Amino acid sequence: MYEVLMYDGGVYRVNELYELVEDVGGFVIQKTQIQVQILVTMAIPEEERPVIEAKTRELGGKIVHVPLAGTEVAVVAPTLGRHHMPHPTCDIAEQLRRLGAITVVMGLARGKGRRTSQISADEKAIIEEYDAAVFVLGNFKDCILEHKVKLFEEIEIPVVVVCGPQMDDLPHCEAIVCGVGRKVERMRREEEIARLNEVSVAIEKVVKERRRFLEEDPLFVHPAEVKDRIAELEPVERSLRPAPVVLHLDGLRVKIPYKEWKDQIAAVEVYGHRLGDIATISDSRLGGSTLIKIKTRSEVEDHDRRAKKG
Amino acid sequence: MTLTDERFAYENFESIFRQTLQDLGISRSVLGFRIIANPGAPYFLISIRLGRARSAIKVSDMSQLNPHAGGTALTIIDEGWAPALLNKLWQRYGRDRVEQMTRFEMLVRGVSVDELSNLELDPGEELKAKVLDAVWRLFPEGFTVRYEIVDERAMTIIGTEHDMRPEWIDVARMVHKEMSAREADPDV
Repeated sequence: MYEVLMYDGGVYRVNELYELVEDVGGFVIQKTQIQVQILVTMAIPEEERPVIEAKTRELGGKIVHVPLAGTEVAVVAPTLGRHHMPHPTCDIAEQLRRLGAITVVMGLARGKGRRTSQISADEKAIIEEYDAAVFVLGNFKDCILEHKVKLFEEIEIPVVVVCGPQMDDLPHCEAIVCGVGRKVERMRREEEIARLNEVSVAIEKVVKERRRFLEEDPLFVHPAEVKDRIAELEPVERSLRPAPVVLHLDGLRVKIPYKEWKDQIAAVEVYGHRLGDIATISDSRLGGSTLIKIKTRSEVEDHDRRAKKG
Repeated sequence: MTLTDERFAYENFESIFRQTLQDLGISRSVLGFRIIANPGAPYFLISIRLGRARSAIKVSDMSQLNPHAGGTALTIIDEGWAPALLNKLWQRYGRDRVEQMTRFEMLVRGVSVDELSNLELDPGEELKAKVLDAVWRLFPEGFTVRYEIVDERAMTIIGTEHDMRPEWIDVARMVHKEMSAREADPDV
């Protein structure tokens, strides 16, 4: 299984690290250079970590654990009003970013209230584009148990619920973190930071589980490899968006319009295959983006076999 | 009535209301409050025992007034009143006729010194507006059907999602009566 790490060090001899990553069968996901310092996010086979650590020591850098790198997580609040949104939601998103995830904060259009609280099919579809979702709920146990569970009961990606009251179990979610509730200031106290850590541990567990599931029938290529090819496309190179290509556990989000660029994306060559043949390319619900879901190795082999017969 | 344990919600609402009062600088003007939430009904009720605001003050007591061509020139002596004064003048005479030249100097066109010197500022209204602001920050967002009871000593607001029932309003009246009769709460 791949493990995602971040190298924090200087640019001196960093090419040796890139070569080593390639030699052990890993990929460089992202490079961020600030003058002579560089941050390199990479995915390597789990068992090769000691080799990479040794190289890092040799180069005078350090390895930072970023278990959520290569994932995109939605942090969802019932509304964007100050009753639900600002403090816990932003703090949770920030916590997940520190561990390497790309996060999106989202408020539902009709999420406020108790019985009136609802989620639309469109909102569900948007949330399902992400690898996991965190639902940040409020103070009343009764309200959460009776009504707010409906917000995420049909969501097909893993859901972690963050709420105020203590609860041992909640249906339709993979994990629950209690003791947060509504806040009027940032989560800075020791016990609040502990709660933030609990959220990241829950998401980490969910992501690990999903990675393990994907390993059972591995993807034809790792999304990071496709990212390298996609990044060479002209509209992606020209894109001014902060992260024009975002990795998902089973694919990528490319922030260029689907309608205009679907053919060029499908024509990208990956290990002798057209990307269109080894992945499902679709329009994202968020305007101006394209979603790529990479097919599994068995799906591609099956497709090749049929093509030969045909 | 709800059968779930809502202790967390009560404690949390109390602490965020206290913090909101502090943020708005009116902790000392609120002598006590009570929050009742019944998610099973559902309704949310808050009753506040209001303290005494600063007493009313005449414009001539916190500023110097001098006749000016076409109006009156004001020089504020106590800057603490400046925002309230400016607001009052804008409300009464309109933005076109009130000009703030410097931090302390204002010009009001077409108004005599006599008229301005008798004008009174009532901080009670300002306090009520701030308390209401704190309440809206606290009140559950979806509870938009509301009923208010306000008098000189207390303010009670009850809100729900759909129809407001008469028995809930009776609860609000009872709580309001108790709150009006209450002396200052030493915890607030």
